[in-house]
Amino acid sequence: MNNNTIFQFFNHLKNDKISFAYRGSFSNSVLAMATELIKNNMDAEHSKLRNKLSFLMIESFQNIARYADSEAFPEPETNSDFFMTRNIGSTFYIISANLVSNDKVASIRERLERVNTLDKKELNDLYREVLTNKQINQKGGAGLGFIEMVRKSKGKLPFDFVKASETHSMFFMQIELKNPNVESEQEPAKIEEAKAIQTLIAENDILMMHKGSFTSDAISPVLRMVEDNMNSMKLKVQKKIYHFLVEILQNISKHSYVINNDREGIFLIGFKDGVFNLGTGNYIENDKIENLKTQLDHVNMLSKEALSDLYRKYLREGRETETGSAGLGLIDLARETDDNINYSFTKVTDEYSFYSLTVKF
Amino acid sequence: MLKKIDIKPTDDLPGVIFDPQKNFFMIFGRILPEDGRIFFNPLLEWVAEYVKDPNDYTELHFKLDYYNSSTARMLTKLIVELEKILETGKKIKVVWEYAIDDEVIKERGEELKSISYLPFELRVIS
Repeated sequence: MNNNTIFQFFNHLKNDKISFAYRGSFSNSVLAMATELIKNNMDAEHSKLRNKLSFLMIESFQNIARYADSEAFPEPETNSDFFMTRNIGSTFYIISANLVSNDKVASIRERLERVNTLDKKELNDLYREVLTNKQINQKGGAGLGFIEMVRKSKGKLPFDFVKASETHSMFFMQIELKNPNVESEQEPAKIEEAKAIQTLIAENDILMMHKGSFTSDAISPVLRMVEDNMNSMKLKVQKKIYHFLVEILQNISKHSYVINNDREGIFLIGFKDGVFNLGTGNYIENDKIENLKTQLDHVNMLSKEALSDLYRKYLREGRETETGSAGLGLIDLARETDDNINYSFTKVTDEYSFYSLTVKF
Repeated sequence: MLKKIDIKPTDDLPGVIFDPQKNFFMIFGRILPEDGRIFFNPLLEWVAEYVKDPNDYTELHFKLDYYNSSTARMLTKLIVELEKILETGKKIKVVWEYAIDDEVIKERGEELKSISYLPFELRVIS
């Protein structure tokens, strides 16, 4: 992951009001956190969709477990299970991707094609029929999951299979939940976009991605989610990641450029060869760039010892800024990272630019 | 005597007990406000009163899981304010508690100790 990757992600997601993606092994705690995160941070105009959205996220999540081939070891790892929720305009999208064995592809395809052609009454009939005929398949699903997804979302289920090996394919599926009370001129998102994002995430060894408006209220659930997902890591690594996110997200909430009342930002957590990569990005006013660059170059130039001295000096003597943080945040990040703070500014308009940071632990 | 402070901890803000009568002073939990001043300024005002007529021996315990950089500065201010007790001839000590595997909090305690004039004990807790 580098600063270019972050910009690429941001561009893919530029119409997303909120989006969250996760790659790796799935547990119920990830599910609980993901649903909480989306529920807490979705725009108020969509609040009536909350319960439905949670329900559909759970169905989608469990669908991964139901159809995933637990025997298959994702090889290469780019085929790890993938889950994403995004909101564009009036529609929420829930995307899942997982490996299935090739001999199941035909039957999954058949079921999905069937539910995608039925109207409301036919769906209800099928639902009843499946329930009463007890034609339960060995995984206990009988396609009820798909039927429920279509009934609850009132939309189709776009899907695709991408051959991964001689024995397995990646199975992509997208649930679409539209808010009937909100007008939107946004183009609907196609499943191809989700596939492109999954590829980007997998190729960059990303574990978690979140884009949203990082106001102070929105930060707490994000932090809770990340924290709850780090239980297996060493405490020191946990605290470093946590610390980086606190400082950066609070920085976004204080200083990022406001567009339509939002302080949009993105963060990504990647892991490769024993090293954690963290990246963030947000908009910033062009006339703030020079000052920020100077500060970044300054802390990058200093040795760890010099950074510690400077930190202590600021602690004791202060360097009052408007928010009272005394520039400590940046010094602190610089001394905690194993490398430099890598940064980049990409001009978007005459008014503002895209500003990204990456650090390693 | 000053009225005691008893603040319950939340997800983002610490618990605080400043009880001069029972002679018990502790800040615990996690602290991550965007602007540390909102939470800490009232505490600093309280301490500014307390140091005018402190107990014979004051022991302030920190038992923290995490705090952000906006808070680091406020904790330092608190410690600097407490240094005034030294001028009264009365005794004061800071006890910085940390879990045995929590290197981050330990290092931060060492750092605060190095910039403070107060007796400052780092105490490992199990």
